[in-house]
Amino acid sequence: MAKTILVVDDSASVRQVVGIALRGAGYEVAEAVDGADALRKLDGRKLHLIISDVNMPNMDGITFVKEAKKLPAYKFTPIIMLTTESQESKKAEGQAAGAKAWVVKPFQPPQMLAAVSKLIMP
Amino acid sequence: MTFESEMLAARQTFVVECRDLLDEMEHLLLGIEDTDDPQENVNALFRAAHTVKGSAGLFGLDHIVRFAHVVEAVLERLRSGEIEVSTELIGVLLPCRDHLADLVYGAEVTEHATDEQEATTDALLARLAPFVDENGGAGSGANAAEAAADGAASGERDVHLSLRFGADTLRDGMDPLSFVNYLATLGTVQRVRVIDDLLPEADAVDPERCYLAFQVQVRTAEPIERVEEVFEFVADDGDIRVLNPGTPAGAWQDLIDSFGDAGPAVAEILREFGAFDDAAVLDAATAIADAVSGVPEPATPAAPASKAASTTADAARPAPSGQGDKAASGQGDKAARDGRNIRVDASRLDRLIDLVGELVVAGAAASVRAERTRDGSLLEAVDDMMRLVEEVRDSAMQLRMVPIGTTFARFQRVVRDVSTSLGKDISLVITGGETEVDKALVERIGDPLTHLVRNAVDHGIESQEQRLAAGKPARGTLRLNAYHESGSIVIEVSDDGGGIDRDRVFAKAVERGLVDESASLTDSEVYDLIFEPGFSTAPQVTDLSGRGVGMDVVKRNVKALRGTIEVDSRRGEGSTLRIRLPLTLAIIDGFLVGVHGSSFVIPLEQVVECVELPSGVPDRNCMDLRGEVLPFVRLGSAFALGGDKPKRENVVVVESAGTKIGLVVDSLMGEFQTVIKPLGPLFEHVRGVGGSTILGTGDVALIIDVPGLVHRFGDRERARQFEAVAAHA
Repeated sequence: MAKTILVVDDSASVRQVVGIALRGAGYEVAEAVDGADALRKLDGRKLHLIISDVNMPNMDGITFVKEAKKLPAYKFTPIIMLTTESQESKKAEGQAAGAKAWVVKPFQPPQMLAAVSKLIMP
Repeated sequence: MTFESEMLAARQTFVVECRDLLDEMEHLLLGIEDTDDPQENVNALFRAAHTVKGSAGLFGLDHIVRFAHVVEAVLERLRSGEIEVSTELIGVLLPCRDHLADLVYGAEVTEHATDEQEATTDALLARLAPFVDENGGAGSGANAAEAAADGAASGERDVHLSLRFGADTLRDGMDPLSFVNYLATLGTVQRVRVIDDLLPEADAVDPERCYLAFQVQVRTAEPIERVEEVFEFVADDGDIRVLNPGTPAGAWQDLIDSFGDAGPAVAEILREFGAFDDAAVLDAATAIADAVSGVPEPATPAAPASKAASTTADAARPAPSGQGDKAASGQGDKAARDGRNIRVDASRLDRLIDLVGELVVAGAAASVRAERTRDGSLLEAVDDMMRLVEEVRDSAMQLRMVPIGTTFARFQRVVRDVSTSLGKDISLVITGGETEVDKALVERIGDPLTHLVRNAVDHGIESQEQRLAAGKPARGTLRLNAYHESGSIVIEVSDDGGGIDRDRVFAKAVERGLVDESASLTDSEVYDLIFEPGFSTAPQVTDLSGRGVGMDVVKRNVKALRGTIEVDSRRGEGSTLRIRLPLTLAIIDGFLVGVHGSSFVIPLEQVVECVELPSGVPDRNCMDLRGEVLPFVRLGSAFALGGDKPKRENVVVVESAGTKIGLVVDSLMGEFQTVIKPLGPLFEHVRGVGGSTILGTGDVALIIDVPGLVHRFGDRERARQFEAVAAHA
């Protein structure tokens, strides 16, 4: 049974590319367009990892992480934040909220895969 | 789908996304000099450039990243206040935005830049150079040097890792084992030892807490930094040490000390691994252990120390985030709107509109047949359906409506470019940008509007000297305004320039042979002369607008959209050009009439009233309408329809270009939703007919083009009079 990763990003191209890379590495991928959408999609389903952008409409990544961490089913789900080099403060906020891992944009698929495989074994 | 085609599809998504960002960048750049709070614009610009760069990086579009990186760096300096907004800077950033757009659009088909694009990149980077921080520019070079140094330091050897994970590691969703596992991608994991010194008695164990530490030996050729990177996610909360063989004794001593009580055990492991073999240090560690082994409840210095460190770090973090929050919330509004929108291929929408058109026709057919049955319940059902069809039609038309503001915003750039090149200072004020217009109209009105705007900047608004001499502010104002008015959309382009010189226009028109010198014309008739082909009054022809072509083309384009254009002008105060367009191009409300067995549709907007044709009107094609003379056209004879005159004839009074005329028809059949079907190329130049439509009965009805018909009739009438006069003579 392949492990499932939820990708949360308002940019469709980012979701597409990350999805292509992760599926290629043998993961199942679910997508959400923003924090609110992601929360709806959590819905108790088994997730092995969440990858979330920070700046998103409706609900930003930090809030989403805080909310997700409140749900018992996702208490131990590792979360990767997509940060940018200019957002050190956001990275710290994300870590405080419970997203301890991060990938700095702009990244290429191999960097994303490396971060993912540090956290979960395929 | 293959990997390549998937990536290609994703890249196309990227281009679509960037299009919005790039439009926004242009808008922001143009607005930056006028806004009170340029910082807001700068922040938004920075985010946009950053997002473009980020996504481009995702696709390995290095040429875009390289260029966007420098643009971003300049914006970053702008943001931090190191440099200030200046006309020169905007003058460089605007072409940079254009080039970025060019590169992004190019990415739809290829991953690489053309030579030409590369040359432009280099040229623009050179122009940006004065605004780039010396250190910032060298940044990528430094990275390269660093990478080279890393390469030199590598070489296969046994690296020792000491991993003390933070207590919350598991709660954070991270698995220590997974990291150790990942190490295998860098080399061979030789040995792993677990240190469980912190593990309490079984009944005191908190299962969510991470108690374990590891000592690991890896054989790898990777530099130390790469190995350390594996643990970057846990380094903050834990104590991760990576040591090369041959590292000075002090570091090993520190490592042993950091484990406190477990130090001797760690020293033992180091000895066993052969990682470090300074007998003096190791023996001392073991000796201390022997000495303190009797002390109850020994403190573990490492844990509190790291805890303290992380606490201070936490406290320091949230401080600088205030501004970021504000910026994010500002973006949130716009993004929230975007979130409720979906993109639809325009051709699908057109297909829907087409189908709705068919539905309206089919509905009308059903309704006609239902009426024949005289079945009450069926009629009721059909009525209900028709009402819904009408609603569907309206909502479908709504889908095509877009605010005209985006089209208007484009003109910021036009006004800026044109006025700069003419040495004028002109600001563009946009109002009514939220007015909604049919998308097809928006696309087709762009060119005529551009012409009007250029013209206003070029000819309308005077030079700064003239303005000051006339007691006006040096800065000219151009206004774009849009609003709805009884079934039409009105777009106004107005300037506060010198207005149209009536006498000069008239003189020019006489010179060009457009009017007779003795003709007495009203002001508006004189102004209308500027729309005549080949008319230009500018004494000095600039390369921008004054070639004498244009205004006539504008008028033609507007007419092609079933619209009208008129001029208002006041000497010394400025002019207003007003374009009036139908709200939509596909379906109109029509008025159905019957003439000698044929049906015609008259656009309802133009119908004023209907009266019965008084019997016994003289054969002069005019009648008395409540004391006014109303000229009329017999549709039957205008279209040479055979057939007998009915006993009673009706007159539909229509208004076109300010004059009323009557159309004589046989029967009035009432309002009718008219789906416009264009005539074939053979008939499209027929004057007086604007299109066709299909009636519920399946019959074809022609749609009357009232202005065209009036023209045609006027011509014929003049010819008739001329013949009459000639016959007399």
